[in-house]
Amino acid sequence: MKFLCVSCDEAMKLMEVAPPDRGSLSVVYRCPTCAQEIAMLTNPFETQVVSSLGVQIGADSDPMDGESRCPFSSMVPELGAPGEESSPELRWSPEASSRLANMPEFARPLAKAGIEKFAKERGLGEIDLGVLDGARKSMGM
Amino acid sequence: MALEGGHHLKGYYDISGDGGSNVLAQVDAQQARIAQNLSLVRNLLAIGSGKGGVGKSTMTMQLACALRRQGYAVSIMDADLNGPCQARLGGLRETILLPGASGATVPTTESGIGVVSMATLVPEPRAVEFESVATGSSHTWRATKEFTILRELLEGMDWGKLDYLLVDLPPGVERIVQYAELLGPTAMFVLVTIPSELSKGVVARSIEALKQTSNPILGYIENMDGYFCQDCQRVKPLYPAQSSIQFELPRLGTLPFDPALAAHCDRGGSLADLSTLPSWPLLQRIAEEMLKRAAELTPSEETR
Repeated sequence: MKFLCVSCDEAMKLMEVAPPDRGSLSVVYRCPTCAQEIAMLTNPFETQVVSSLGVQIGADSDPMDGESRCPFSSMVPELGAPGEESSPELRWSPEASSRLANMPEFARPLAKAGIEKFAKERGLGEIDLGVLDGARKSMGM
Repeated sequence: MALEGGHHLKGYYDISGDGGSNVLAQVDAQQARIAQNLSLVRNLLAIGSGKGGVGKSTMTMQLACALRRQGYAVSIMDADLNGPCQARLGGLRETILLPGASGATVPTTESGIGVVSMATLVPEPRAVEFESVATGSSHTWRATKEFTILRELLEGMDWGKLDYLLVDLPPGVERIVQYAELLGPTAMFVLVTIPSELSKGVVARSIEALKQTSNPILGYIENMDGYFCQDCQRVKPLYPAQSSIQFELPRLGTLPFDPALAAHCDRGGSLADLSTLPSWPLLQRIAEEMLKRAAELTPSEETR
Protein backbone atom coordinates (compact mmCIF):
# COMPACT_ATOMS: atom_id res chain seq x y z
CA MET A 1 0.00 0.00 0.00
CA LYS A 2 1.33 3.41 -0.95
CA PHE A 3 0.07 6.89 -0.19
CA LEU A 4 0.34 9.83 -2.52
CA CYS A 5 0.17 13.47 -1.53
CA VAL A 6 -2.30 14.78 -4.11
CA SER A 7 -1.16 18.41 -3.81
CA CYS A 8 2.49 17.57 -4.40
CA ASP A 9 2.07 14.38 -6.49
CA GLU A 10 4.68 12.94 -4.18
CA ALA A 11 4.84 9.55 -2.50
CA MET A 12 4.28 9.89 1.24
CA LYS A 13 6.75 8.34 3.63
CA LEU A 14 5.86 5.95 6.44
CA MET A 15 6.83 7.73 9.66
CA GLU A 16 5.39 5.80 12.56
CA VAL A 17 3.34 2.76 13.48
CA ALA A 18 1.38 3.51 16.63
CA PRO A 19 0.65 0.79 19.19
CA PRO A 20 -2.39 -1.31 18.31
CA ASP A 21 -5.77 -0.60 19.83
CA ARG A 22 -8.54 -3.24 19.81
CA GLY A 23 -7.42 -4.70 16.52
CA SER A 24 -6.84 -1.35 14.87
CA LEU A 25 -3.50 -0.02 13.81
CA SER A 26 -2.49 3.58 13.17
CA VAL A 27 0.21 4.19 10.61
CA VAL A 28 1.38 7.76 10.08
CA TYR A 29 2.62 8.96 6.68
CA ARG A 30 4.20 12.32 5.82
CA CYS A 31 4.67 14.06 2.51
CA PRO A 32 8.40 14.82 2.17
CA THR A 33 7.64 17.96 0.16
CA CYS A 34 4.86 19.77 2.07
CA ALA A 35 5.16 17.86 5.39
CA GLN A 36 1.43 17.11 5.32
CA GLU A 37 0.74 14.14 7.59
CA ILE A 38 -2.04 11.58 7.37
CA ALA A 39 -2.80 8.48 9.42
CA MET A 40 -4.03 5.20 8.01
CA LEU A 41 -6.34 3.61 10.55
CA THR A 42 -6.99 -0.05 9.87
CA ASN A 43 -10.03 -1.99 10.95
CA PRO A 44 -9.40 -5.39 12.59
CA PHE A 45 -9.97 -7.23 9.31
CA GLU A 46 -7.36 -5.15 7.52
CA THR A 47 -4.96 -5.67 10.40
CA GLN A 48 -5.51 -9.40 10.19
CA VAL A 49 -4.72 -9.47 6.48
CA VAL A 50 -1.18 -8.34 7.19
CA SER A 51 -0.84 -10.36 10.39
CA SER A 52 -1.86 -13.54 8.57
CA LEU A 53 0.99 -13.11 6.12
CA GLY A 54 3.43 -13.34 9.01
CA VAL A 55 4.93 -9.95 8.21
CA GLN A 56 5.10 -6.63 10.01
CA ILE A 57 4.27 -3.18 8.69
CA GLY A 58 7.51 -1.26 8.33
CA ALA A 59 9.70 -4.09 9.63
CA ASP A 60 13.07 -5.01 8.24
CA SER A 61 13.19 -8.08 5.98
CA ASP A 62 15.61 -9.67 8.42
CA PRO A 63 13.46 -11.27 11.14
CA MET A 64 16.19 -10.85 13.75
CA ASP A 65 16.26 -7.16 13.09
CA GLY A 66 12.51 -6.72 13.35
CA GLU A 67 12.10 -8.26 16.77
CA SER A 68 9.94 -6.27 19.19
CA ARG A 69 8.94 -3.78 16.52
CA CYS A 70 6.04 -5.89 15.38
CA PRO A 71 2.77 -4.07 16.01
CA PHE A 72 0.83 -7.25 15.23
CA SER A 73 2.52 -9.74 17.51
CA SER A 74 0.91 -8.46 20.67
CA MET A 75 -2.46 -8.45 18.95
CA VAL A 76 -2.50 -12.11 18.06
CA PRO A 77 -3.42 -14.01 21.21
CA GLU A 78 -1.31 -17.14 20.67
CA LEU A 79 1.81 -15.02 20.41
CA GLY A 80 1.26 -13.71 23.89
CA ALA A 81 0.61 -17.12 25.39
CA PRO A 82 2.04 -18.13 28.79
CA GLY A 83 5.74 -18.68 28.56
CA GLU A 84 6.37 -15.73 26.28
CA GLU A 85 7.34 -13.59 29.27
CA SER A 86 10.65 -14.51 30.85
CA SER A 87 10.69 -15.50 34.49
CA PRO A 88 12.19 -12.53 36.35
CA GLU A 89 14.83 -14.68 38.03
CA LEU A 90 16.07 -16.08 34.72
CA ARG A 91 18.29 -14.28 32.22
CA TRP A 92 18.60 -15.29 28.58
CA SER A 93 22.02 -14.78 26.98
CA PRO A 94 21.91 -12.95 23.63
CA GLU A 95 23.02 -16.14 21.82
CA ALA A 96 20.28 -18.24 23.44
CA SER A 97 17.68 -15.53 22.71
CA SER A 98 18.81 -15.44 19.12
CA ARG A 99 18.32 -19.19 18.76
CA LEU A 100 14.85 -18.94 20.24
CA ALA A 101 14.01 -16.17 17.77
CA ASN A 102 15.01 -18.50 14.91
CA MET A 103 12.26 -20.95 15.80
CA PRO A 104 8.78 -20.84 14.28
CA GLU A 105 7.02 -18.03 16.11
CA PHE A 106 4.04 -20.08 17.28
CA ALA A 107 6.37 -22.68 18.87
CA ARG A 108 8.42 -20.19 20.89
CA PRO A 109 6.20 -19.80 23.98
CA LEU A 110 6.14 -23.54 24.66
CA ALA A 111 9.86 -23.91 23.96
CA LYS A 112 10.65 -20.99 26.24
CA ALA A 113 8.51 -22.35 29.03
CA GLY A 114 10.10 -25.80 28.67
CA ILE A 115 13.64 -24.45 28.75
CA GLU A 116 12.96 -22.18 31.72
CA LYS A 117 11.43 -25.10 33.60
CA PHE A 118 14.53 -27.15 32.79
CA ALA A 119 16.82 -24.32 34.04
CA LYS A 120 14.80 -23.71 37.23
CA GLU A 121 14.81 -27.39 38.14
CA ARG A 122 18.60 -27.23 38.02
CA GLY A 123 18.86 -23.94 39.94
CA LEU A 124 20.34 -22.06 36.98
CA GLY A 125 20.14 -18.27 36.75
CA GLU A 126 21.06 -17.84 33.10
CA ILE A 127 20.01 -19.64 29.97
CA ASP A 128 22.90 -19.88 27.54
CA LEU A 129 23.77 -22.21 24.67
CA GLY A 130 24.96 -24.86 27.13
CA VAL A 131 21.56 -24.90 28.83
CA LEU A 132 19.82 -25.19 25.45
CA ASP A 133 22.03 -28.16 24.56
CA GLY A 134 21.31 -29.70 27.97
CA ALA A 135 17.56 -29.30 27.52
CA ARG A 136 17.70 -30.92 24.10
CA LYS A 137 19.75 -33.82 25.40
CA SER A 138 17.40 -34.33 28.33
CA MET A 139 14.56 -34.71 25.82
CA GLY A 140 16.50 -37.19 23.73
CA MET A 141 17.26 -34.79 20.84
CA MET B 1 -3.55 8.72 -13.36
CA ALA B 2 -5.61 11.56 -14.83
CA LEU B 3 -8.07 13.50 -12.70
CA GLU B 4 -10.87 15.84 -13.77
CA GLY B 5 -9.52 18.98 -15.39
CA GLY B 6 -6.56 17.13 -16.87
CA HIS B 7 -4.64 17.09 -13.58
CA HIS B 8 -2.22 14.16 -13.54
CA LEU B 9 -1.10 12.19 -10.53
CA LYS B 10 1.37 9.37 -10.09
CA GLY B 11 -0.07 5.85 -10.09
CA TYR B 12 0.98 2.89 -7.94
CA TYR B 13 3.64 1.73 -10.36
CA ASP B 14 5.09 5.21 -10.79
CA ILE B 15 6.26 5.11 -7.18
CA SER B 16 9.20 2.89 -6.39
CA GLY B 17 9.22 0.71 -3.29
CA ASP B 18 6.11 -0.45 -1.45
CA GLY B 19 5.23 2.64 0.52
CA GLY B 20 7.47 1.92 3.48
CA SER B 21 5.57 -1.11 4.79
CA ASN B 22 8.29 -3.42 3.43
CA VAL B 23 5.66 -6.17 3.22
CA LEU B 24 6.72 -7.33 -0.26
CA ALA B 25 10.38 -7.54 0.72
CA GLN B 26 9.47 -9.53 3.81
CA VAL B 27 7.43 -12.00 1.76
CA ASP B 28 10.37 -12.39 -0.67
CA ALA B 29 12.72 -12.87 2.26
CA GLN B 30 10.45 -15.61 3.66
CA GLN B 31 10.64 -17.48 0.34
CA ALA B 32 14.42 -17.12 0.25
CA ARG B 33 14.75 -18.44 3.80
CA ILE B 34 12.58 -21.49 2.96
CA ALA B 35 14.71 -22.25 -0.11
CA GLN B 36 17.85 -21.90 1.98
CA ASN B 37 16.49 -24.04 4.78
CA LEU B 38 15.46 -26.83 2.41
CA SER B 39 18.64 -26.67 0.36
CA LEU B 40 19.91 -29.93 1.88
CA VAL B 41 16.61 -31.77 1.37
CA ARG B 42 17.00 -33.81 -1.80
CA ASN B 43 13.39 -34.87 -2.34
CA LEU B 44 10.12 -33.38 -1.20
CA LEU B 45 7.35 -35.96 -1.31
CA ALA B 46 3.78 -34.93 -0.57
CA ILE B 47 1.32 -37.65 0.40
CA GLY B 48 -2.21 -36.48 -0.37
CA SER B 49 -5.57 -37.63 -1.59
CA GLY B 50 -8.21 -34.96 -1.48
CA LYS B 51 -10.39 -37.44 0.41
CA GLY B 52 -10.27 -37.76 4.18
CA GLY B 53 -10.04 -41.02 6.10
CA VAL B 54 -8.23 -43.04 3.45
CA GLY B 55 -5.06 -43.52 5.49
CA LYS B 56 -2.78 -40.75 4.24
CA SER B 57 -1.13 -40.21 7.60
CA THR B 58 -0.56 -43.87 8.41
CA MET B 59 0.72 -44.44 4.87
CA THR B 60 3.08 -41.48 5.24
CA MET B 61 4.61 -42.91 8.41
CA GLN B 62 4.79 -46.41 6.98
CA LEU B 63 6.47 -45.21 3.79
CA ALA B 64 8.90 -43.22 5.93
CA CYS B 65 9.68 -46.43 7.83
CA ALA B 66 10.23 -48.34 4.59
CA LEU B 67 12.55 -45.62 3.29
CA ARG B 68 14.36 -45.48 6.61
CA ARG B 69 14.88 -49.24 6.50
CA GLN B 70 16.60 -48.76 3.16
CA GLY B 71 19.02 -46.39 4.85
CA TYR B 72 17.58 -43.06 3.74
CA ALA B 73 17.51 -39.99 5.95
CA VAL B 74 13.79 -39.22 6.28
CA SER B 75 11.63 -36.70 8.07
CA ILE B 76 7.90 -36.04 8.07
CA MET B 77 6.15 -32.69 8.21
CA ASP B 78 2.56 -33.09 9.34
CA ALA B 79 0.76 -30.47 7.27
CA ASP B 80 -2.59 -31.44 8.75
CA LEU B 81 -2.75 -28.76 11.41
CA ASN B 82 -6.34 -29.48 12.40
CA GLY B 83 -6.13 -33.24 12.69
CA PRO B 84 -2.44 -33.82 13.36
CA CYS B 85 -1.51 -37.40 14.13
CA GLN B 86 2.12 -37.90 13.11
CA ALA B 87 3.30 -37.30 16.68
CA ARG B 88 1.14 -40.19 17.87
CA LEU B 89 2.18 -42.40 14.94
CA GLY B 90 5.83 -41.67 15.73
CA GLY B 91 5.45 -42.13 19.49
CA LEU B 92 6.41 -38.47 20.03
CA ARG B 93 3.42 -37.01 21.81
CA GLU B 94 5.41 -35.94 24.87
CA THR B 95 8.02 -33.96 22.93
CA ILE B 96 8.31 -30.19 22.55
CA LEU B 97 10.18 -28.23 19.93
CA LEU B 98 13.44 -26.74 21.17
CA PRO B 99 15.80 -24.23 19.57
CA GLY B 100 18.89 -25.58 17.81
CA ALA B 101 21.75 -23.94 15.94
CA SER B 102 19.75 -23.33 12.75
CA GLY B 103 16.11 -23.31 13.77
CA ALA B 104 14.12 -25.68 15.94
CA THR B 105 15.49 -29.18 16.36
CA VAL B 106 13.35 -31.82 14.63
CA PRO B 107 12.27 -34.50 17.14
CA THR B 108 13.09 -38.01 15.96
CA THR B 109 11.40 -41.35 16.51
CA GLU B 110 13.15 -44.35 17.95
CA SER B 111 13.89 -45.40 14.38
CA GLY B 112 15.49 -42.06 13.52
CA ILE B 113 12.64 -40.56 11.51
CA GLY B 114 12.22 -36.83 12.09
CA VAL B 115 8.65 -35.80 12.85
CA VAL B 116 7.25 -32.30 13.07
CA SER B 117 3.59 -32.23 13.97
CA MET B 118 1.29 -29.71 15.56
CA ALA B 119 0.29 -32.56 17.85
CA THR B 120 3.54 -32.08 19.80
CA LEU B 121 2.54 -28.48 20.54
CA VAL B 122 -1.16 -29.03 21.08
CA PRO B 123 -1.71 -32.20 23.09
CA GLU B 124 -4.88 -34.26 22.68
CA PRO B 125 -7.75 -33.55 23.27
CA ARG B 126 -7.20 -29.83 22.69
CA ALA B 127 -8.16 -28.46 19.29
CA VAL B 128 -5.85 -26.25 17.31
CA GLU B 129 -7.29 -22.75 17.34
CA PHE B 130 -6.79 -20.12 14.72
CA GLU B 131 -7.22 -16.93 16.65
CA SER B 132 -8.10 -13.70 14.97
CA VAL B 133 -7.81 -10.10 16.05
CA ALA B 134 -11.09 -9.55 14.27
CA THR B 135 -13.28 -11.17 16.92
CA GLY B 136 -15.41 -14.09 15.79
CA SER B 137 -13.96 -14.16 12.31
CA SER B 138 -11.17 -16.71 12.59
CA HIS B 139 -12.80 -18.68 9.75
CA THR B 140 -12.04 -15.80 7.43
CA TRP B 141 -8.31 -16.01 8.01
CA ARG B 142 -7.94 -19.70 8.67
CA ALA B 143 -6.39 -20.66 5.34
CA THR B 144 -3.92 -17.78 5.36
CA LYS B 145 -2.99 -18.50 8.95
CA GLU B 146 -2.56 -22.19 8.24
CA PHE B 147 -0.23 -21.57 5.35
CA THR B 148 1.72 -19.05 7.42
CA ILE B 149 2.28 -21.75 10.06
CA LEU B 150 3.33 -24.28 7.42
CA ARG B 151 5.68 -21.74 5.90
CA GLU B 152 7.14 -21.09 9.34
CA LEU B 153 7.68 -24.82 9.78
CA LEU B 154 9.51 -25.07 6.46
CA GLU B 155 11.51 -21.99 7.33
CA GLY B 156 12.09 -22.40 11.05
CA MET B 157 12.84 -26.10 11.54
CA ASP B 158 16.38 -27.40 11.29
CA TRP B 159 15.58 -30.02 8.63
CA GLY B 160 19.25 -30.68 7.98
CA LYS B 161 20.44 -33.08 5.32
CA LEU B 162 17.61 -35.34 4.19
CA ASP B 163 17.04 -37.77 1.37
CA TYR B 164 13.28 -37.43 1.76
CA LEU B 165 11.01 -34.95 3.46
CA LEU B 166 7.53 -36.45 3.43
CA VAL B 167 4.66 -34.02 3.80
CA ASP B 168 1.44 -35.47 5.16
CA LEU B 169 -1.31 -33.37 3.57
CA PRO B 170 -4.80 -32.78 4.96
CA PRO B 171 -7.88 -33.56 2.86
CA GLY B 172 -9.26 -31.09 0.34
CA VAL B 173 -9.07 -31.21 -3.44
CA GLU B 174 -8.68 -27.52 -4.16
CA ARG B 175 -6.14 -27.13 -1.38
CA ILE B 176 -3.84 -29.75 -2.90
CA VAL B 177 -2.87 -27.15 -5.49
CA GLN B 178 -2.14 -24.66 -2.74
CA TYR B 179 0.20 -27.16 -1.09
CA ALA B 180 1.90 -27.70 -4.44
CA GLU B 181 2.46 -23.95 -4.66
CA LEU B 182 3.78 -23.83 -1.10
CA LEU B 183 6.20 -26.72 -1.62
CA GLY B 184 7.35 -25.63 -5.07
CA PRO B 185 7.40 -27.32 -8.47
CA THR B 186 9.93 -30.00 -7.55
CA ALA B 187 7.73 -31.52 -4.85
CA MET B 188 6.48 -34.94 -5.97
CA PHE B 189 2.99 -36.17 -5.11
CA VAL B 190 1.69 -39.59 -4.16
CA LEU B 191 -2.08 -39.97 -3.86
CA VAL B 192 -3.81 -42.38 -1.52
CA THR B 193 -7.25 -43.80 -2.13
CA ILE B 194 -9.38 -46.66 -0.94
CA PRO B 195 -11.11 -48.86 -3.54
CA SER B 196 -14.55 -47.26 -3.11
CA GLU B 197 -16.05 -45.23 -5.96
CA LEU B 198 -16.67 -42.49 -3.43
CA SER B 199 -12.99 -42.12 -2.65
CA LYS B 200 -11.78 -42.64 -6.19
CA GLY B 201 -14.14 -39.95 -7.44
CA VAL B 202 -12.52 -37.43 -5.12
CA VAL B 203 -8.99 -38.59 -5.92
CA ALA B 204 -9.80 -38.21 -9.63
CA ARG B 205 -10.60 -34.57 -8.87
CA SER B 206 -7.24 -34.18 -7.09
CA ILE B 207 -5.43 -35.59 -10.10
CA GLU B 208 -7.19 -33.06 -12.31
CA ALA B 209 -6.36 -30.28 -9.87
CA LEU B 210 -2.69 -31.26 -9.79
CA LYS B 211 -2.57 -31.15 -13.59
CA GLN B 212 -2.71 -27.36 -13.20
CA THR B 213 0.74 -27.55 -11.66
CA SER B 214 4.04 -28.83 -12.99
CA ASN B 215 4.53 -31.07 -9.96
CA PRO B 216 5.16 -34.72 -10.80
CA ILE B 217 2.60 -37.27 -9.54
CA LEU B 218 4.39 -40.52 -8.88
CA GLY B 219 1.21 -42.58 -8.72
CA TYR B 220 -1.45 -43.73 -6.34
CA ILE B 221 -1.69 -46.26 -3.55
CA GLU B 222 -4.85 -48.26 -2.98
CA ASN B 223 -5.23 -48.58 0.76
CA MET B 224 -7.70 -50.87 2.53
CA ASP B 225 -7.84 -53.09 -0.54
CA GLY B 226 -9.49 -55.92 1.35
CA TYR B 227 -8.69 -56.82 4.92
CA PHE B 228 -6.21 -59.18 6.39
CA CYS B 229 -8.14 -61.86 8.25
CA GLN B 230 -6.13 -62.93 11.26
CA ASP B 231 -8.12 -66.16 11.61
CA CYS B 232 -7.48 -67.57 8.16
CA GLN B 233 -4.38 -65.48 7.40
CA ARG B 234 -5.88 -64.38 4.08
CA VAL B 235 -6.89 -61.12 2.49
CA LYS B 236 -10.65 -60.92 2.06
CA PRO B 237 -12.53 -58.32 -0.03
CA LEU B 238 -13.98 -55.15 1.45
CA TYR B 239 -15.16 -53.46 -1.74
CA PRO B 240 -16.39 -54.68 -5.14
CA ALA B 241 -13.49 -55.83 -7.28
CA GLN B 242 -14.41 -53.69 -10.31
CA SER B 243 -14.41 -49.92 -10.34
CA SER B 244 -15.71 -47.65 -13.07
CA ILE B 245 -13.07 -45.05 -12.19
CA GLN B 246 -9.63 -45.66 -13.61
CA PHE B 247 -6.68 -43.34 -13.09
CA GLU B 248 -4.13 -42.66 -15.81
CA LEU B 249 -1.42 -43.03 -13.22
CA PRO B 250 0.70 -45.96 -12.09
CA ARG B 251 -0.68 -47.86 -9.14
CA LEU B 252 2.27 -48.05 -6.77
CA GLY B 253 0.69 -50.86 -4.80
CA THR B 254 -2.17 -51.96 -2.62
CA LEU B 255 -2.41 -52.55 1.07
CA PRO B 256 -5.14 -54.50 2.85
CA PHE B 257 -6.59 -53.28 6.12
CA ASP B 258 -4.60 -55.06 8.80
CA PRO B 259 -5.90 -54.86 12.40
CA ALA B 260 -2.39 -55.50 13.69
CA LEU B 261 -1.08 -52.57 11.67
CA ALA B 262 -3.92 -50.37 12.95
CA ALA B 263 -3.02 -51.25 16.55
CA HIS B 264 0.64 -50.57 15.79
CA CYS B 265 -0.25 -47.11 14.49
CA ASP B 266 -2.41 -46.31 17.53
CA ARG B 267 0.40 -47.01 19.95
CA GLY B 268 3.10 -45.32 17.83
CA GLY B 269 5.01 -48.54 17.34
CA SER B 270 8.61 -48.69 16.19
CA LEU B 271 10.07 -49.67 12.85
CA ALA B 272 11.31 -52.90 14.42
CA ASP B 273 7.73 -53.81 15.40
CA LEU B 274 6.37 -52.78 12.02
CA SER B 275 8.73 -55.08 10.19
CA THR B 276 7.21 -58.10 11.94
CA LEU B 277 3.70 -57.43 10.57
CA PRO B 278 2.20 -59.16 7.50
CA SER B 279 1.79 -55.77 5.79
CA TRP B 280 5.49 -54.97 5.94
CA PRO B 281 6.58 -56.68 2.68
CA LEU B 282 3.76 -54.91 0.85
CA LEU B 283 4.82 -51.55 2.28
CA GLN B 284 8.40 -52.14 1.23
CA ARG B 285 7.23 -52.99 -2.28
CA ILE B 286 5.17 -49.81 -2.46
CA ALA B 287 8.19 -47.76 -1.35
CA GLU B 288 10.35 -49.45 -3.99
CA GLU B 289 7.78 -48.72 -6.71
CA MET B 290 7.61 -45.15 -5.54
CA LEU B 291 11.38 -44.73 -5.74
CA LYS B 292 11.48 -46.38 -9.17
CA ARG B 293 8.84 -44.02 -10.44
CA ALA B 294 10.62 -41.02 -8.88
CA ALA B 295 13.82 -42.03 -10.65
CA GLU B 296 11.94 -42.26 -13.97
CA LEU B 297 10.34 -38.85 -13.57
CA THR B 298 13.41 -37.07 -12.24
CA PRO B 299 16.27 -38.86 -14.01
CA SER B 300 18.79 -36.18 -13.16
CA GLU B 301 18.21 -36.77 -9.48
CA GLU B 302 20.33 -39.41 -7.86
CA THR B 303 18.20 -42.02 -6.18
CA ARG B 304 20.48 -42.25 -3.21
